Amino acid sequence: MSEYQVLGVRTPRTDALLEASGQVVYGADIVYPDMLYAAARYSDYAHARILSVDVSEAERSPGVRGVITAKDVPVNRFGYKFQDQPVLADYKVYCKQDAIAVVAADTEAQAQLAAEKIRVEYEPLTPVLDPVEAMKDEVLVQEGSSNVVAHIKLRKGDVGAGFAAADKIVEEELSTQKVEHVPLEPHVALSELRPDGQLVITTSTSRAFAYITQLLKILRMDMTRLRVLTPAVGGAFGGKNDVSLEPWVALLTLKTGRPVKMVFSRKEEFFTTLRHPYRMKYKTGLKRDGAILARKIEIISDSGPYVCLGKDTLTKASVHAAGPYNIPNISVDSYLVYTNSALGGAMRGFGVPQVAFAHEVHTDTIAHELGMDPVEFRRKNLFYDRGEAATGQLLDSRAMRATFERALELEKKSNEGREEPRA
Amino acid sequence: MIKKGTGMACMFYPNGSTGKANPAGAFIKINHDGTAVLNIGATDIGQGSNTCMAQIAAQEMGLKLSQVRVVTGDTELTPYDAGTGACRVTYIAGNAVQKTARKAKRLLLDAAARKMGLIHSGQLVIEEGEIFLRYWPAKRMTIAEAATYSERILGQPIIAVDSYSPATMPLEEESGQGMPFEVSIYATQIAEVEVDTDTGEVKVTKLVAVHDCGKMLNPMLVEGQIEGGVVTGIGYGLYEQIIEDPVEGGIRNPSLATYQIPTSLDVPEDMVIDCVEIPEEKGPYGAKGVSEPTCNPTAPAIINAIYNATGVRIRDLPATREKVLFALRELERKEEG
Repeated sequence: MSEYQVLGVRTPRTDALLEASGQVVYGADIVYPDMLYAAARYSDYAHARILSVDVSEAERSPGVRGVITAKDVPVNRFGYKFQDQPVLADYKVYCKQDAIAVVAADTEAQAQLAAEKIRVEYEPLTPVLDPVEAMKDEVLVQEGSSNVVAHIKLRKGDVGAGFAAADKIVEEELSTQKVEHVPLEPHVALSELRPDGQLVITTSTSRAFAYITQLLKILRMDMTRLRVLTPAVGGAFGGKNDVSLEPWVALLTLKTGRPVKMVFSRKEEFFTTLRHPYRMKYKTGLKRDGAILARKIEIISDSGPYVCLGKDTLTKASVHAAGPYNIPNISVDSYLVYTNSALGGAMRGFGVPQVAFAHEVHTDTIAHELGMDPVEFRRKNLFYDRGEAATGQLLDSRAMRATFERALELEKKSNEGREEPRA
Repeated sequence: MIKKGTGMACMFYPNGSTGKANPAGAFIKINHDGTAVLNIGATDIGQGSNTCMAQIAAQEMGLKLSQVRVVTGDTELTPYDAGTGACRVTYIAGNAVQKTARKAKRLLLDAAARKMGLIHSGQLVIEEGEIFLRYWPAKRMTIAEAATYSERILGQPIIAVDSYSPATMPLEEESGQGMPFEVSIYATQIAEVEVDTDTGEVKVTKLVAVHDCGKMLNPMLVEGQIEGGVVTGIGYGLYEQIIEDPVEGGIRNPSLATYQIPTSLDVPEDMVIDCVEIPEEKGPYGAKGVSEPTCNPTAPAIINAIYNATGVRIRDLPATREKVLFALRELERKEEG
């Protein structure tokens, strides 16, 4: 085949050899002359008032060149839609993963040692860790009147009428857990001040422009003074969608005048955003022949103490929660709830893996309740060529049934010639 | 005892962010020597998008893949891109790259037309590094010759800029109705499991994954993405869970010794991967993104297979050994009682 025919052809990545031979430059590989290493001090409580932060002993610790606390952050709240997340905790800690201070020292070990010497005085508050408990609003995580920070609604058709006409109603509760992205490469960020005064942050991110948008506000800079570079990224899966250690290294460089590097340990990697756990209630009204008349869904998402991308993920989840099925009447109510548990954020599938689990298990439960084969039940209800989503949008869904039939065919074919297992 | 079963799951998922502008920009310059630089804001996070974007640019401009350099990962040098997420790079950045490459090609053809003495470039085609007349193919020149002529004789270096953002709108506040996405992708997966009823251990022995991504631009990358997604889904379905202290808060298992991810030993021996390849007319060369939701159907397909094998329905992820074993015992008790 001609080397000019490059599309539709099995083409190895252009950097495959470099990757395989370890020659690609990741953030952790970068070393600047005179570089300092940073280490963070995290909260001892999931929910507490901070009475005082004493960094004097840390500052005197060997090799330490600078320590930053909330006082050093020009604008100490960030977030895409809701600016509720502190860069460094100021008057309160909202979860155990909150950082209170960050140290820059000549070596990583010196920085870590000094971080342990930071004295924090707390007044412990009751943490609220369960989202259903949190919805009672007995303990408020953030300032405001309720822990329910968003309520997303979808209304298509008339579910009441759909249920009234149903021969059978199936209800089911399903839930998912909190998970971490576990990229091969943990978060890493470096910052350096160029001779012309430009602050350059090199960071492992999937969204350099989203990062700089946040960092410009936090640091009160413009794009002539601040620049974000992305080296090779060793996997992200949504976990590198939100700033975390970038403002810390930037502020330490501004404070010390030296380049600063920070690489998260595997433990700290778990302190970044996680996939939200969902609690989901599904209720479906059916005709005896298996036609779906109505579906009502309720979702509770544990956001952790900040909104982060929790509303966006929950919106996408709500839009897809009813599944790729022809359902004339749909109602979805989704609640995003603040708690003092570890923060949720973007992760591969962005809210939809949770609801895909729910709508597909629910589909099998319904088929079982109706005494139908789950495959036949799907064949009856899956989107045809123009599926109508829960938003009312018409989709080009020709591929839905194509993948369904092909999967069955390939499954059958893969069994041919297989030896029957001995009993 | 080992019990076998199969389960199925279907899914749909969009390309692009929900109900808002999420553009990708691209710059292209064609150098006088017939090589090109493609400058994009979309970051390659390990999934291979730099290769895929270079493939689109090379194909559109009649260049070899090795003749296209990709510049990315710099907020100063590259145009804006909403980011590598929302399964949007192949479809949205890919469209931006194709549109930009078309513009660059147009400039190249115009220069070639002038050099050849043509009235306009209408009958010129680019193929395999050369520009020639469709009906008089003997009349030809290389891309390098046309680019040099444009830059050094006409004084018009070949540079092109364009962008793409899907036509979407925000959802209506009260009803959630609207058109939040431009295109969606679909998939069906079938899992086959073996459940050890003595230990509760679930082994995924086969996984059939059939996905839709329009036309595959690079089948090797598509397969890699589906394989990776399936493994992610196995971890979600069977092993992975953050455990937090219910009283004090804080993560109890922030390490790979205590937070269990799937290893190569957990990958099904039998993995059947395929794409249906219905071209997407709005996509670059008929393509849509595939990667992000490849994990979505895996966990429910496994859970449905466990039910099919044992009659036990797990409604709370993940289906750990303890959970499956406990549910099996409960089912036994019910059946006996």
